[in-house]
Parts: sequence; C-alpha cells; structure tokens
Amino acid sequence: MEERSTMKKARTVRYGVVFTLLTAAFFIILIVNINTGNVSIPLSKILEILSGGDEGSSAYSIIRMIRLPRLVMAAILGGALSVSGFLLQTFFGNPIAGPFVLGISSGAKFAVALNMIFLLRIYRSVSSWNMIAAAFLGALITTGFILLVSRRIKDSAGLLVAGIMVGYICSAATDFLLTFAEDSDIVNLRGWSLGSFSGMSWDNVSIAASVVALITAASFLLSKPIDALQLGENYAKSMGVNVRVFRILLILMSSILSATVTAFAGPISFVGIAVPFLTKSMLKVSKAAVVIPGTFLCGAVFCMGCDLIARCAFAPTELNISTVTSIFGAPIVIVMLIRRKRK
Amino acid sequence: MSGKEVIKLNRLSVGYGRKVLIGDIGLSIDEGEIVTLIGPNGAGKSTILKTIARQLEPVVGDVYIEGKPLSKLSFHELSETVSILLTERVDPELMTVRDVVEAGRYPYTGHMGMLQKRDEEVVEEALALCRITDISDRYFRELSDGQKQRVMLARTIAQEPKILVLDEPTSYMDIKYKLELLSLLKRLRDSRKMTILLSLHEFELAKVISDRIICVKDRDIIKVGTPEEILNRKVLCELYDISPENLEILLQSMESVV
Repeated sequence: MEERSTMKKARTVRYGVVFTLLTAAFFIILIVNINTGNVSIPLSKILEILSGGDEGSSAYSIIRMIRLPRLVMAAILGGALSVSGFLLQTFFGNPIAGPFVLGISSGAKFAVALNMIFLLRIYRSVSSWNMIAAAFLGALITTGFILLVSRRIKDSAGLLVAGIMVGYICSAATDFLLTFAEDSDIVNLRGWSLGSFSGMSWDNVSIAASVVALITAASFLLSKPIDALQLGENYAKSMGVNVRVFRILLILMSSILSATVTAFAGPISFVGIAVPFLTKSMLKVSKAAVVIPGTFLCGAVFCMGCDLIARCAFAPTELNISTVTSIFGAPIVIVMLIRRKRK
Repeated sequence: MSGKEVIKLNRLSVGYGRKVLIGDIGLSIDEGEIVTLIGPNGAGKSTILKTIARQLEPVVGDVYIEGKPLSKLSFHELSETVSILLTERVDPELMTVRDVVEAGRYPYTGHMGMLQKRDEEVVEEALALCRITDISDRYFRELSDGQKQRVMLARTIAQEPKILVLDEPTSYMDIKYKLELLSLLKRLRDSRKMTILLSLHEFELAKVISDRIICVKDRDIIKVGTPEEILNRKVLCELYDISPENLEILLQSMESVV
C-alpha cells in the first residue's frame, strides 16, 4: 500500500511539473509573439493596448486585428491538430497515425479547394462554415478510404504507405485544380493551400474556437473508453465498451478537428504525431484524461512557436507553417520510430 | 456442487460470420464448476470460449448466462458477469502493471473512470493473488511474457466476474506458475463461487483441476465427462491422434521423475 501511494504521488508531481512548464512556455511564447514583428511596438504600449487603451492607433490595429487573432488561432488549431492525432492513434492503435500522414489533411484540402473555386465563381464569397463542411467531407471520405485499406493491410508500414499515397493523389488533384483555376482564385488558394495562420479574423477565430472546444471537451469526456482501447478492441469489448459505436465516434471527432484546422489554415504536417508523442514522453503516461489536455496545451505552444519562426525567420518574407512544423516535427517522429524499434 | 445452472448452451453453433465451425452444442454448467476444454490446436476450443464471452456472435442458437440469452445482455451487463483472458498479445503504451489491472475495474467505475477505495482494494488483492505486487509499478511492456500473462490474469480477476473464461492461461508460464495458477483457480472457486471455463494444452493439469473435461477435436466435441472418465489411454490417443506406443513413451517420461 505504501508503495502504491508513492508511485501515485510521483505521477501527480510529474503532471504538476509538466503542466506548469507548458503553461509557462505558453505565456512566454504568447508575449514574445505579440512583441515580435515588422513593426516593433514597446511592451508598455502592448500592455496598454491589450487592456483596451490607445484605440485607433496603428499599433492598436496591428495588435488587435492582426497579431492577436493569428496567435489565438495558432494556439487553437495547434491544440486541435494534436488532439486529432491522439484520437487517430487510439483508433488505429498505432502511434504513427496522424491526420497529415494518413492523407486526411490532403483530402480535406482537396475538398476545400474544389469548394472554393466553384463557390467563388458563383457567389464571390465563401463562409467559414462552408469551408469547414467541405473540409469535413473531404476528411471523412479520405478516412473512409484509409479504413477500407486498413482492413486489408494490418501492419503499420503498409497503412502508412497507403496514407501517404492517398495524400499524394489528393495533392496532385489539388494542383491540377490550381493549374486550371483563374488567377483571382489562385491568389486566394495558393497561400492557404501551403498552410498559414495569417489573415485570421476574429470571426474565424470564434468559429474555430467553438468547434474545437466542443470536440476537445467531448473527447476528454470519453477518456475512459479511450483508455480501455489501449488493451485492444477485444478486451475493450469484454470490459463493456460498445466498440463499434465508440470507434465511429472517435473517427468522427478526429475528422472534425483536422477538418477545422485544414479549413482555416490549410494542411499542417507532423504536429498530429510529434506533439502527442512529446506529451506522452513528458508525462510518462497514456491516460487520456491527462494526455488530452496536455497534448492540447503542448500543441498550442508548438504551433505558436512554429508560427513565430514562420513569421520572423526571414522577415519580411513569411515561410508557410508546414515548412516549419516539418523541420521540427519530422525529426521528433524519427526519434520516436528509433525508440520504438529498440524496444 | 450447488447445482445452480449459470451457463447453458442451447443448440449452439459457433464459428466466424456465417461459417459454422462446431455445430449443435448443448451443455449446461453449474455455479462453481471448473470445466476444461482440451484437444489439439485448431480444434475450436477458443471459438467456443470466445462465443460464451461474446467476443464472437453465435452462428445459430444462443448462450444463456444465468438464464438470460447473451443477445439480450448489453456489453456492460455482460462485463459484470463474465471476464475473459484472451490469447492475443496486448501492447499498451506507457501503462504500468497496476494500470492494466485497474482496467479490470472498468465496469464498476464512474464516468471518468476514477477508482474508489473499494476498487483499489480489489486491485490490490488481484495483484497479490497473481503474485505481481512487487512488479506493480513497472511498465507492462518491459515485462517477460510469463509476467505479462499473470498481469492479464490479474486484470480478469479484478473485473470480479461470476464466470471466468480463460483461453490457454498457462501459455508462457513456467511450471511453478502453472501449478500456482491451478491452486489459485481452485481458491477462486471455493471462496468466490466463481465458475471457471478454461482451455489447456496440458491434459495432466486438466486432470488435477477440472470437475469436467470437454474434448474438442476436428471441430467437434467428441467427449464430455469427469477427469476419470476422460483421461484414459484410449481417449487420449484418439483425441490427440497419437499411437498407443507414443502415448506410453509420454506417460513413462512423466512417471520417470524420482
């Protein structure tokens, strides 16, 4: 009994430390991010603006209308991607699963591109909801295809290759559309299809925030069956989980999250695999009730950091976000694979 | 024997999808009975056990658990009555031994799966029964196959079932733990009135532990009876397809220990 309480205590301490560090990192990056840019604004002024002062100045609009919504969006979408990855990994019982490698993001991207080009022709504008719906449809169709393939191919390598191929097909189809699209459409599409957090309005932010908050909360409430699935479908079934229904829920939630990200920021690579892995390695636990909030926070920090680099590394030229997330995310995934092999 | 029937198989056909593997099984098992399935590989022992625990749906007929047909029980209701040890390997990431055993409490915990004091006591007891208290803080993935098997067994016990279904529980275990397993099962039966169904490769162990033995061969149940009725040279030769001479060699080798 003695020993048990020490293990539990050690874990609680670890959670405390990790969450404190992540929260601290979150605020540091937040402040650095607001503070950095082509126009330098002194800290005292930033604080004044954030508390509502100095309305009407150009600094005010830079912070309130450009930097802040972009930052908040990076945090929300980064968190969403990570949770989406975690859910997919639970679903496939495979830590290498993620919305980007499985081609789900690319599927969503293709659907959005299609939607944008055709709707822009007719209505000259596309609503956020419309984008999300298109992305969700694209994500779902790709996921459905991956599911079909995964029935035939049980091993992770095969699944991965299938996902990457689907990703290529969707990207090729998107490129095809772009090639034959009108110039005005391409201006809209190009920046978006490479992935970026720029140009976010508060309307976008509030829509993304409500979708992501709802789904993340729902997945948190499903922590118990998510944990049960760790022992495999059959054991989960024997513990009373209605596996069939639950797996559909998982895939729907994961698709909605990655669709939301893709609709607003385009496909963003590797966050969905690298961040859950990092989070679990730090927390040394796989309990969903701890990992879901942890991975959300970690994903927010990761994407805010990557966006900062995308903005500033070669200012005034901006990198697209996927370039940066790949540079940091892909090596993490490689480390993960090596560590797994050693087991 | 109390004589209270807890499992009834009524004209049951088991198999995968619509394909019948073993047809028309009729069997009744009383509370507190230990029933062992023996027979060669691929004969269908697992299929029968999995159908009783509703890992597989019956092709025809039904399984009655305490008088209720399986098809009328929810997965949750079933999980409070039946728990199963499967032969499949599990590979849970970053779960300690205790985490795995705690998973057995799933049917009893609240929405977020928090353990109450009673749950922790049950887990503690299951750990002690399977002699894994000392490794309870280690990560499951780091263990040997034999240790893993004992952890998974502890998980099924922590689920506090009335009916325990064990598919080849002795695999990966060395002789010490095999013998301990047998006495553990007897204790569970005596103290908790558990009904235990298991499959074994070792007929000599089946003899020690079982109230009844079911011989499964070539996708058919060829004989059901007490160990005394079943475990004679004739049945064994027929069941495992071995010649009388070879059986003698095997039996002599067992007796040759001084």
